[in-house]
Amino acid sequence: MKLKSIALTAALVASTLGAVFAPSLAQAQAKEQFFPLLVYRTGPYAPNGTPWANGKQDYLKLINAQGGINGVKITFEECETGYATDKGVECYERLKGRPGVALFDPQATGITFALTDKVPSDKIPLITLGYGLAASQDGGVFKWNFPLMGSYWTAADILIQHLGKKEGGLDKLKGKKIALVYHDSPFGKEPIPLLQERARMHGFELSLIPVTAPGVEQKSAWLQVRQQRPDFVLLWGWGVMNSTALKEAVATGYPREKMYGVWWAGAEPDVKDVGANAKGYNALALNGSGPDTKVIQDILKQVHDKGQGTGPK
Amino acid sequence: MFYRENGQFKSSYRADQQIFPIAQDRIAIALLLLVAFVVVPLGVSDYWMRAILTPFLILSLAALGLNILVGYCGQISLGTGAFMAVGAYAAYNFHVRIDGMPLIASMLLGGLCATLIGVLFGIPSLRIKGLYLAVATLAAQFFTDWAFLRIQWFTNNSSSGSVSVAGLNVLGMPIESAVQKYIFCLVVVVVFALLAKNLVRSAIGREWMAMRDMDVAAAVIGIRPVYAKLTAFAVSSFIVGVAGALWGFIHLGAWEPAAFSIDRSFQLLFMVIIGGLGSIMGSFFGAAFIVLLPLFLNQLPAWLGFSISTALASHLETMIFGALIVFFLIVEPHGLARLWSTAKEKLRLWPFPH
Repeated sequence: MKLKSIALTAALVASTLGAVFAPSLAQAQAKEQFFPLLVYRTGPYAPNGTPWANGKQDYLKLINAQGGINGVKITFEECETGYATDKGVECYERLKGRPGVALFDPQATGITFALTDKVPSDKIPLITLGYGLAASQDGGVFKWNFPLMGSYWTAADILIQHLGKKEGGLDKLKGKKIALVYHDSPFGKEPIPLLQERARMHGFELSLIPVTAPGVEQKSAWLQVRQQRPDFVLLWGWGVMNSTALKEAVATGYPREKMYGVWWAGAEPDVKDVGANAKGYNALALNGSGPDTKVIQDILKQVHDKGQGTGPK
Repeated sequence: MFYRENGQFKSSYRADQQIFPIAQDRIAIALLLLVAFVVVPLGVSDYWMRAILTPFLILSLAALGLNILVGYCGQISLGTGAFMAVGAYAAYNFHVRIDGMPLIASMLLGGLCATLIGVLFGIPSLRIKGLYLAVATLAAQFFTDWAFLRIQWFTNNSSSGSVSVAGLNVLGMPIESAVQKYIFCLVVVVVFALLAKNLVRSAIGREWMAMRDMDVAAAVIGIRPVYAKLTAFAVSSFIVGVAGALWGFIHLGAWEPAAFSIDRSFQLLFMVIIGGLGSIMGSFFGAAFIVLLPLFLNQLPAWLGFSISTALASHLETMIFGALIVFFLIVEPHGLARLWSTAKEKLRLWPFPH
């Protein structure tokens, strides 16, 4: 069910275009709008990065097939970053000079940090869809960052509130142990301040278990989980770290029903390798899943059926 | 025919000992500096300066530092990324914690901190050699990876672990635009290259080379191994630390420890090996090869007119790059610098065959 990941990406791009094209209307007078696509189809994050990139392209092709945005066609070009900050900066510098650049969506928190310093002087919107610098919600300070669809603070908060609801009230969390298994990078560390504050508010014990990037080696992290026996595990991973975490959970016998992943840890490629053992794993989702949403049906009909699809269906 | 020393007689020791004794060489270097300082900022696009020339300059400075250690003193080091990280984070801490600290001062102090760490991790070199020393310096790499992720003080207690610098200026002149950053890096690199060249031509440079060639014989004739090896580590780490500070402050602007990972160490070691061990010029060639060639390979399909997927382009780039490394090492194991020297030697006879 690759469609689940396509749905994820398509919904992300849908809200981008909806929210961003209000300020860009001035450029709609031009015949074309250029979307640079910073992607990673290689490296340890490619399992998630590739379907995401395919979905983005498919959605842009759908918009073009439906006549463009108010008649403005979208042109796009991909640039491979491999999730590396310096390659992301190089891609940004290479593509920002093109005429009619609409926005940049780096698909990576590390690259977002580096570009946040550059976009105010270049005056190009930096869209971060459900990732990036949580503090950039303050539009007065970060005038050119547009964090859409929530930040990591929102994600962590939703998870804690859900756990509270599951237990029958946030006060029932008192005395429980919640472990955060996170990717040891700015992406993984973003939710920690919020979780610590919530731990203070509701009295649960937060244990932080970092996983060295890229997360292929997690045996020691899950040994700690096995020793601590937390009531819940929040998984904050990306790419190959997610499937490895689930496999390690199976190996150490930690019940997947008690694992809750952030929206970046809940895509099809993460559970595909683990198979039936991943049953019961929970994750946040930014969108509806499955092939029945209208956007997916449109993409299948107008893009893939005409042979223009990017990547497999 | 053109590249000959005919008629160039030196009448003082000073003239005889200069770095470029042949007049044609001096003219060539003067032209190169003219192009670098004047023509490039005026004529080249911002993208080239920001994304190609500035990283090339900074990495060639780091390769220069590593060449002193590996090429001139023969101590293999896989911890270069670590020393760059120390330089960058130390410079960051000086810059952020002390109000009004000048940029150059914080970078030099960052280099000094890298020197201390470099000497510390260079102490094993007094007992172990070759590949074993490489493993010991690898420990430095992993140690700094851990330290900058775990010890909050180094990142100024940033919750995300990522640090950034802004508003850089030197004596009131801002270092913001592509041209300013490029010129700043160029000045630093030229000064350090000159200092390094003179250092390796001096007594201490000869001590390093003696240790590299035959350390027992060097000890027999009175060269103290402790002094030679530790000074090599010290000077090398200082230069690498300053390069790390430049990389973080000027090129990236905001960075996390992954910017100085083991991949960076390997990249610098390859630059030094391919460019030419024991050659200042070789560091620049190696950096050019490793920085520019992948970009060139990446953009080649677009220039030739056919489009391939970015993943395929990325994989092809890695494969072709690896094949070229193997090719160059077979053709000239002493690196690109030796190829250049051989070419110059042949130019002295050209067009007259022997």
